[in-house]
Amino acid sequence: MSGVNLNGIVKCYGAVEVVHGIDLTVAEKEFVVLVGPSGCGKSTTLRMIAGLEEITAGDLTIHERRVNRIAPKDRDVAMVFQNYALYPHLNVADNMAFGLRIRKMPKDEIKTTIEDVAGILGLTEYLDRRPADLSGGQRQRVAMGRAIVRHPKVFLFDEPLSNLDAKLRTQMRAEIKRLHNRLGVTSVYVTHDQVEAMTLADRIVVMNDGRIEQVGTPMELFNNPANTFVAGFLGSPPMNQIKGTLTQTGAQVGDTEIKISGAMNGQAGRDVIVGIRPEHITLKASKNTSALPIDLDLVEPLGSEALLHGRHDNVEMVFKADTDGDIAHLSGVNAVHINPDLVKLFDAETGRALNFGA
Amino acid sequence: MAEEHTTAAGQPIQEAVIEAQEAQRMPPNDGRWTRLFDHFKREWQIYAMLLPTIIWFLVFLYKPMYGLQIAFKDYSIFRGVANSPWIGLEHFQTLFSNDQFLRAIGNTIKISALNLIFGFPAPIILALMFNEVLHASYKRTAQTIVYLPHFISSVIIAGIVITAFSPTAGIVNTIIGWFGLDPVYFLTQPQWFRPIFVGTGIWQEAGFGSIVFLAAIAGVNPSLYESAVVDGANRWQMMWKITIPSILPTILIMLIIRIGNVMEVSFELVILLYQPATYETADVVNTWIYRQGLQSGQYDLAAAGGLFNAFVAFVLVMTANTLSRRYSRTSLW
Repeated sequence: MSGVNLNGIVKCYGAVEVVHGIDLTVAEKEFVVLVGPSGCGKSTTLRMIAGLEEITAGDLTIHERRVNRIAPKDRDVAMVFQNYALYPHLNVADNMAFGLRIRKMPKDEIKTTIEDVAGILGLTEYLDRRPADLSGGQRQRVAMGRAIVRHPKVFLFDEPLSNLDAKLRTQMRAEIKRLHNRLGVTSVYVTHDQVEAMTLADRIVVMNDGRIEQVGTPMELFNNPANTFVAGFLGSPPMNQIKGTLTQTGAQVGDTEIKISGAMNGQAGRDVIVGIRPEHITLKASKNTSALPIDLDLVEPLGSEALLHGRHDNVEMVFKADTDGDIAHLSGVNAVHINPDLVKLFDAETGRALNFGA
Repeated sequence: MAEEHTTAAGQPIQEAVIEAQEAQRMPPNDGRWTRLFDHFKREWQIYAMLLPTIIWFLVFLYKPMYGLQIAFKDYSIFRGVANSPWIGLEHFQTLFSNDQFLRAIGNTIKISALNLIFGFPAPIILALMFNEVLHASYKRTAQTIVYLPHFISSVIIAGIVITAFSPTAGIVNTIIGWFGLDPVYFLTQPQWFRPIFVGTGIWQEAGFGSIVFLAAIAGVNPSLYESAVVDGANRWQMMWKITIPSILPTILIMLIIRIGNVMEVSFELVILLYQPATYETADVVNTWIYRQGLQSGQYDLAAAGGLFNAFVAFVLVMTANTLSRRYSRTSLW
């Protein structure tokens, strides 16, 4: 049974079409993350699911019920907003109780529900405080609490962590994941942060320019990106992409030939884009690896790892290398060694992934 | 690797620059007056921009206060302000033994109370109503229509009111006539002055006054409404539970200002609408001062009346501000 089903969903503002026929099925209890750059239509899609935006064309069903024309309150969804949307004049308890009072739930039941959810979220001691007296993380928890108390069928999250600092974001990310594991409610989460997407999602939906580029588990998308956009969007730093030409055994990139596993099936001479993940290299040559010379111009230490910024054939590239506690030995790097099993190929014209088989 | 540049003392350049910037930011430890002088020297452009306003206040609001002393003097225009003899609180005793002045205070308070009860909520209600109008061009047209009376001179407003309530050709009496009733000369009957005056004030100012509340409504975070929609609130609930509480600080500030002006009933409009037949309900402190000061030449007595007026307004605004700060964390200062 599907939790949320989008079938050919289109959104137009006047004559401008911003979402171009999206098809997506979110299974019950699944945590799906919509990710993409600003303006890709992910928030608009979420708002259409919430009922805050009208659907121009297509069908939206929630738990097998078509809800295109159903008011937001009757869709049985709860939404957590980017800026928390807490009522500044109400304290935490009243903020959480707002939706329940609107639905005329009995007072004692409201009190019990609020206390239970406040306990889950660690908000019990803050119930009398107003939002202005809370930290960013606490406010975010109240916003989630307000959604949880309603026991909705679907949770919708619109970039809920983007106003938090990096440390708090990591902490809240883990809390959201734990909460989802505990409550098991179908969730659709929008973010532009690929780390959030990778860590939270059961499945990721990568969107670009109002279209879905790829849907899959985080590791599917990381290991087998469908195109150069997905390859460039997921991963930190993103996949290095450099133009090349296929040979019988690999790809010619400038003066260097990179060996690639798999039969080229007589495709030699075809223009491709060679994709190399920053972490899929070694600094020492081994059997089967290909050396890719680079002009190193910057080493950024991250602790256990360092980022090596350099250029090959006038294309900027970034690689990751272990520091082993020191970065001095990295300043002399002039080539990286590439494992032929981990190189990705994309069509130079369409950007689509090429798979010639092993 | 890039070569590290150092100062003559061997300190890295970047470190030296940061230290110099910090030293500039830290106030020098040589006294409050020096710091104040440094502050003025650094920010003089801002104070220069403030200067015209300060000069305006000094010339038009503070300098005339010199003349207030005549409230405590037996003032003669021939002797001047400085040479007129002091007579203490004699004028105030005269004022409070004058039935007309006491009546004027009573009228002022009654008219202000009516203004506060009916006139203060009117622009708020209007703003809330405008906020619910979804049709943009209808909203713009309606707003323009209700803003217009504010820009009409009080003389013309009074002319319109006098004509509208005229017993011979006025629209009000024409309508009354349709029901077979006798015409009423509203503006000569004391019991009708206050409703007409307050109603005229609302008609003239409610639209323009709604702008400040509309601006406050525009500042309410739209996510609050979206969140409420998802929670199931209807427009009426959103107005009561989100819009009104969100603009409450603005409402309170406007209320404090309004309370401060309680004694300042619209002077021109009263002068233009009242007549001896309606003095009983229409004569307010300011019109009484005008008649005493300018028409009867009792400047000192009029100054005492004005000073009393200002004192009451001062006490009211201070009290309102203190109460508002204590109970709602909102205050003018």
